[in-house]
Amino acid sequence: MASARLDTEKVKQDAQDELEMKVAKYSRGKGADLKVLRDKKLKAQLTAREKLYGKSAKDAAMTDKWLMPTEGGFLEPENDLEKSYRFKQDDVLKEVDLLSSTKPFDMILPVLGPYTIEYTSNGRYMLVGGRKGHLAMMDMLNMDLIKEFQVRETVRDVTFLHNEQLYAVAQKKYPYIYNRHGTEIHCLKEHGKALKLQFLTKQFLLASINSFGQLHYQDVSTGEMVANYRTGLGRTDVMRVNPYNAVIGIGHASGKVTMWKPTSVKPLVTMLCHHGPVTAVAFDRGGHLMATSGVDRKIKIWDLRKYEVVHSYAARAQSLDFSERGLLACSNGSQVEIYRNVGGHDSKLYMKHRMMKGYQVGKVLFRPYEDILGIGHSMGLSSILVPGSGEPNFDTFVNNPMETTKQKREKEVHALLDKLPPETVMLNPNMIATVRAPKKKEKKTKKEIEEEMEDAIEAAKNLERKKKTKGRSKPSKRAKKKEEDVFRAKRPFLEESKEIEGQPGKKQRVGEKVELPKALQRFAKKPQSS
Amino acid sequence: MPKKPTMRRGKPAPGPGKRRRHGPRLPTAMRRELDAMGPGPARGSDDDEGSDAGAEDVYEYEEGVPEEEAGKNGRYDDVAKYEYEFDSDASDADEDVPSEEGEDMEEDDIDDGDDEEKQIRILQETTGMPREAFDGKKRKQALELPLQHGDRDGPVTIHDLLDNIQGKPGYSKVRKRLQQQEKKTMTVLAPLPKVERDKIERKVAYKASNKELTKWESRVKMNREAPTLTFENDTNLGVNTVAAIASEFKPRTEFEKRIAEITQSAEIMEAHKNDGARILELNKIDVEDVRERQNRLAKMRSLLFRHEMKAKRVKKIKSRTYHRMLKKDRLKAASADIEADPEAVKEYARKQEFERAEERMTLRHKNTSKWSRRIIERGLTVQDEGTRAAIAAQLQKHAHLTRKMNSTKDDSSSEESSDDNEDESDSEAKILNRGKEKILKILEEDNEIPNSGVFSLPFMERAMKKREEATYEEAQQALEEYDDSLRKLEDNDTEHNEDSYKVAGKRTFGPVKNAHEEVKKRKLEDTENSSDSEYDSDTARHEVITKHDDIQPGSALLDDEPQNDLYKSFSDIIKSPGPKTTFEVGLLAGDSWKKVKSTKGNGQSNVNDSNNKSKMPVPSMVDPKLKQQDHNSDSDSEEDMVEGFLTISDRKEKYELPSQADLIRQAFAGDDVEAEFEKDKMDVLNEENPEPEKPALVPGWGQWTDIQQKKGLPSWMLKEHEIAKRNREEALKTRKDSKLKHVIISEHVDKKVEKYLARNLPFPYTSKDVYEQSIRMPIGPDFNPTTSVSALTRPAIVKKPGVIIKPIQYEEVNPHEKPNELKRVIQRAFPNPNAKKASAKQGKRVTTQKRK
Repeated sequence: MASARLDTEKVKQDAQDELEMKVAKYSRGKGADLKVLRDKKLKAQLTAREKLYGKSAKDAAMTDKWLMPTEGGFLEPENDLEKSYRFKQDDVLKEVDLLSSTKPFDMILPVLGPYTIEYTSNGRYMLVGGRKGHLAMMDMLNMDLIKEFQVRETVRDVTFLHNEQLYAVAQKKYPYIYNRHGTEIHCLKEHGKALKLQFLTKQFLLASINSFGQLHYQDVSTGEMVANYRTGLGRTDVMRVNPYNAVIGIGHASGKVTMWKPTSVKPLVTMLCHHGPVTAVAFDRGGHLMATSGVDRKIKIWDLRKYEVVHSYAARAQSLDFSERGLLACSNGSQVEIYRNVGGHDSKLYMKHRMMKGYQVGKVLFRPYEDILGIGHSMGLSSILVPGSGEPNFDTFVNNPMETTKQKREKEVHALLDKLPPETVMLNPNMIATVRAPKKKEKKTKKEIEEEMEDAIEAAKNLERKKKTKGRSKPSKRAKKKEEDVFRAKRPFLEESKEIEGQPGKKQRVGEKVELPKALQRFAKKPQSS
Repeated sequence: MPKKPTMRRGKPAPGPGKRRRHGPRLPTAMRRELDAMGPGPARGSDDDEGSDAGAEDVYEYEEGVPEEEAGKNGRYDDVAKYEYEFDSDASDADEDVPSEEGEDMEEDDIDDGDDEEKQIRILQETTGMPREAFDGKKRKQALELPLQHGDRDGPVTIHDLLDNIQGKPGYSKVRKRLQQQEKKTMTVLAPLPKVERDKIERKVAYKASNKELTKWESRVKMNREAPTLTFENDTNLGVNTVAAIASEFKPRTEFEKRIAEITQSAEIMEAHKNDGARILELNKIDVEDVRERQNRLAKMRSLLFRHEMKAKRVKKIKSRTYHRMLKKDRLKAASADIEADPEAVKEYARKQEFERAEERMTLRHKNTSKWSRRIIERGLTVQDEGTRAAIAAQLQKHAHLTRKMNSTKDDSSSEESSDDNEDESDSEAKILNRGKEKILKILEEDNEIPNSGVFSLPFMERAMKKREEATYEEAQQALEEYDDSLRKLEDNDTEHNEDSYKVAGKRTFGPVKNAHEEVKKRKLEDTENSSDSEYDSDTARHEVITKHDDIQPGSALLDDEPQNDLYKSFSDIIKSPGPKTTFEVGLLAGDSWKKVKSTKGNGQSNVNDSNNKSKMPVPSMVDPKLKQQDHNSDSDSEEDMVEGFLTISDRKEKYELPSQADLIRQAFAGDDVEAEFEKDKMDVLNEENPEPEKPALVPGWGQWTDIQQKKGLPSWMLKEHEIAKRNREEALKTRKDSKLKHVIISEHVDKKVEKYLARNLPFPYTSKDVYEQSIRMPIGPDFNPTTSVSALTRPAIVKKPGVIIKPIQYEEVNPHEKPNELKRVIQRAFPNPNAKKASAKQGKRVTTQKRK
């Protein structure tokens, strides 16, 4: 009886703790210390506001609790001897539910390979690009082929634009934009021979890197070419967008990874990551972790807040991808490895999957909102089950895999209305609306100078003077001294303000004649005697 | 305590004794005599005024007769009265110095207390009785002092009392004092100057108003601090229903009055009452009837509803074919009507006439529409087939409508055919049918041969017969032809369908123009391929196939040809057999690949199985040989499809080995990477924080003499250089990447970003931290639950347009109470019953609260 009560109490306590944790998550950091405020009105108003925030966070936590009950699980070995990476796809397939068991598939397309794949942000549609010109779009919800066609030239990369209605394909000479029906909408000649494409969803920017190492940003909603920068680091096809801040990371042959934004000619960050060419870059969903792999047989996990290596694995990888819940997939030859908890201390190999011998895996990509890893390889495509990889609860306001046409339209309009300008891409997007740091060499305004001068004068006036003997402390003397002090305090500011006004100290009138010294007067030009 | 004196100016005092003091001075003895004589007539108020006139500017204060003095009340004992009188006089004498009064009192006490004390002590000693007894005695003694004023009926004055104690010890002293006092004029201080008075007044007024205002403080504070103020409107507009208005109607004009008189007369009312009752009686309805009626109505309603729903559904259907069919059906129904009803025929004819007239007038179908004009402008040749067909159809319709019609009957038939000109074949068939009928008729007619006249002649008969035979033959031929063409037309019909679907379909690569021919060709050369289009036309079968698609995604992505084959294979289950085809299904069931090959003959049952189960098809292992064949067929078809653009001769050379140069570069790439990076970093640092220039003199300057050269560079230059160097080092140290060897973080400030940053701290904030923390939470609906969004985004003032903001009204609030609700109602629609309301006058003082 007593134990039962204890148990219930424990459960209650756990629930409470969990709720508190969620509340802390939703309140987005602690409120400021309002004690420093003197303004009572502001203080009261901010207190009220904080209270509202707290309430909102609590509501959100409760909503979270009741409306997002699905928890993602992982493969858990029963004992220490058992390893989760020993589980084969067969074993997994046996255990999962019927619906999940229909999701993995293998597709052998040996002719037009190697294949690259891409998912829409809601994970519903998949775009398949065969190197030799094969393009196909599939609805992965009901495994329906939407459109399939041949462009009859090299396809290097594919990417969806804001939804499945449009997608961009990097082809032999230029990137093209096709619509859902395979109709060519645009040919983006300015991009040149693009090797890799990325789409910045919030900004509606299509980023490409071409064979000359030029980075292009083009606004797909207006068609405007936003930026065109030369990386100056040679040809590369390793490019990935950081989903957190829309900064683009490019891996170079010199082992560097550079990060770019559309409004900066120079890279924001340059990191020396590997001793050989970088083969793949991937960013965590939260934006704090970056995984890179190089030819130097290393996979490194970086903490982007400190720019330091968190982990370094000795393994090769042609392609890397982070899942929504933080699993890292790496492909190496015909093998795919999945690591779990890469940012933490107990990172470990989670799953392994071996393709048929001879298959070269070109791209691994987790499907959003599903426990599925899509693999594009030299002989076609396949998708495997990776339990715990996808986000189990989707927010229909963000991404809805079951979207209806109307919802899609609605979302498109909203997305366009909420489109962010390209300047909002920055390393720390929380910086927006904060007070900007004072500039180093900013010239002060006249008003500021005046204020400062007044302060200085006040300080000079209030200066306590030593009592001096022998009549040197007479009131008249003290007054004189004070006046001098004030003038001394004033002088630098006066000069400063003069500079601002652009008046030189001595202004010489044009008509005024300069009196020459007597000795030199005879050399002066004489006025013409008429 | 003495009563507070009241100040009066030049008024007659009730105390007659005192009055005398102000007049022209008289010797004391004479005055006493006068006093003894009693109040005379000269003491009237008039006289008083006159006597006072001389001393107008002297302010004097008198006191009214106290109650005790007046003897109104018996509860005052005499001693008290005596003392009072004494006291008050003393205070009269010098009111300004109250302390003196106290002194006087003490003195007096001591004076006449001394002897008494002595006496009491002696008595106490001798008798041994308590002191109290003697005290009382003494008091009694005092009481027993006889009053000598006798006949006078005025109040007792101090002089009366003095007379009594004459000769007693201390008398002289008292008298002296009294005289002194009497000598003094009774003056009051002059009033304060106006400025001072105003000042005092202001002070008092300030205190009062301050008190008045401070009571608002808590309320104003609350209003200021509340995040939202709500102003509600007084929405009570009074009664406004029609009945309410009507009930208040009163007849005013003559006419109205008369009407009212009539309508409200007792007889009429009575009659109405009776009549109304009768009507009510008549209104009796059977229950059955009511039920029936209700049922009927319900039925009608449900029918209507169903119809409405159906109409809605039908309206939503976007299929053109469906609507075409629907239209056709409607026309058919109409034509059936026409056949049955002559009236309808007429109506129809009239309608047609009207339409034609309209067409002639508006020329609506003669390429006048915006669309057609635009099409023509762009050129018909550029348009695709569909558009051209549509244009042609329109023109044809115009021609039909504007053609001269002979009779209504003919019209209708032609109209009918012209109306649905979209499928010409239909009308063509009709024409053919009509021709056929005519011929048949002719054939029947031909049999009659006239028996009389020229035609009855034998040769004529022969000739006629011959001709008849010829015509019969001709007719037969024509009939055959008709039949043939009809049959063809039917065939064509199906072909047309195929064609249209082909156009709409997605799986065609080539230009659509040739689709028709292609189909024909295909039909000729291979019946198998045509089944593809057949599949398309059959939606039911399509469903079956999509179902399979769900399960077999692998097949869906296969190239065109195999896919067709796949579809074919499904369709073939139901339809005609064709040549053998293969299809490939890739399904993961382990690491190995399983491929299904299903041939037309033996694979059929397999697929059927899967069909029935509607589940994953059971993959069967196939020997590698077959697999190989599969591959071959695949590749063959592939090449066909690509049409030589992409020849895949050797599939093995997909992954080229990197070239030697590449390998070398890769192998040695890591060697100098770090050094290179360091150099890069240095470059970047120098660019952002340039190194200060080395101090140097301008050539020729400062080097003229030896001394200067020996001295070296001037100290200020060195100093400057030093400072610059130090600054640079400082700057480098404060960089984010100063401790990270492998990272360069650009410190470059992006000017474009600056517009998204706040230039200064916004007004009420004084701390950057507080400001930045206050904006940390997003308040939009995307980030907050719906329950709190409205509270988070509520404006500072909630007010409907048109609401008049009245002056604030006083309500008592508890200043220590924390307001629970964030919304504060400032102006209620209905006054708050709990709150005490202040008067309107108070309310007006504070008009509006400024809100920031």
